Amino acid sequence: MNWGVLSMAELSLAQSFALIALNAQRSLSMTTAKKVALRCTAAAVILDVYLNHGFTETDNQLSVHPNTWDAMQPKGYLSTILKPITRRNNEVSGELFWWLKKASTLSKRKLVKFERTMANDLKARYLLEEIPNLLGCDLLFYSSGVEIKEYRSNAYEYSRITEGIRADFLEEGPLSDENICMLWLFRESGCMHDFFSGNELEKVSIRMEECHRHTPLGKKLFSIQIHHDIEMAIKYFLNFKKSFVKTQGGSGLNFVYPILERSQSVFIDTEKMLPNARERLHDVLARLEEQGHKYTVLHEGVISIIKIDNIIYEAVPHAIIGRIPIHGVRLLPRRPL
Amino acid sequence: MSRQRSMETILADEFVSIGELVRLTDSRYSTLKYYTEEGMLPFEQAEENLTRRYRRVETVALILRIRTMKSQGMSVPQMKEALLQR
Repeated sequence: MNWGVLSMAELSLAQSFALIALNAQRSLSMTTAKKVALRCTAAAVILDVYLNHGFTETDNQLSVHPNTWDAMQPKGYLSTILKPITRRNNEVSGELFWWLKKASTLSKRKLVKFERTMANDLKARYLLEEIPNLLGCDLLFYSSGVEIKEYRSNAYEYSRITEGIRADFLEEGPLSDENICMLWLFRESGCMHDFFSGNELEKVSIRMEECHRHTPLGKKLFSIQIHHDIEMAIKYFLNFKKSFVKTQGGSGLNFVYPILERSQSVFIDTEKMLPNARERLHDVLARLEEQGHKYTVLHEGVISIIKIDNIIYEAVPHAIIGRIPIHGVRLLPRRPL
Repeated sequence: MSRQRSMETILADEFVSIGELVRLTDSRYSTLKYYTEEGMLPFEQAEENLTRRYRRVETVALILRIRTMKSQGMSVPQMKEALLQR
């Protein structure tokens, strides 16, 4: 029985990790979180080559196997990482640590090129798309013509990869090399907490320790660190800020001080001063439509409830005071999410 | 080095792990673990610390059946009863 199998994609380690890492990242700008994600995806490319015997190993020194250049033709993203490191010179060699470090410290320009190639590759396979970010509807962003878009991974493939990894880590039994690499990439990109609960993390850390001690790949990999402490600190702080405004108290504070977490408190201005509920809703829907969002109005009233891109928001009447008061609504995610 | 099995290999094998079942059926790991602990998905295990192995064809069919029963509004005890009767 092949039920549920036909539409499945066979992805490389780097492609699988990219699908996880790029999901919900801004596509048009380079944020710190995206930089962390791209550095680790670049390292995943090196691990991909390593696992597929694309390196020749002599005394722990790895150099690109001559056949690798031909083999990488169909996978354009491989060359966007390997070429800048080697400049197509097969003599270039170093330990695994050296290759991972080189890949993860590529310049911003090269990272952007790599991102585009990888994203286009995944888009061509219908596994990644760019959707407008709701923040683009906010008065300040909309009126200054700032376009904000984000990546969205194919939900089916995303859950298949992440749930598969969870099952492999949390169940008894040996881990595959891909899983060991994925575990290391999760650690280096600081996204362990996104996939495992506190209790599960204890089990995962035991598994990681086992890998470190008993598997040759784990021994090599888990002693390597490529993350940048400052970037990770910024990422953790932003995550903390986001989770703070997801609480009732935080949400209330965000209403008064939207600067706390802008993406969770979008203000849409209305055409008229003191509009009635119907006009308010009309203006909000017009802005959402203009920015390309999918929405459904669940409840019409003083506080309308709208489902936008799979998240339910309350449209609360609000006014901001600048030189003149501007009336409109603030879109706040409904609790619990 | 032990590599992850390709889909082709998984589909040619009689037995699969829970991780592979997750990939095959697009189910959540916690859901399949719960069904296993409730005795709804039979498995084989050589020793306590070794991987649980599920018969691929039968287990995928079972998961499909459980999903259908769930969409009909059946509770877990009712589903267990129905699976036992069969």
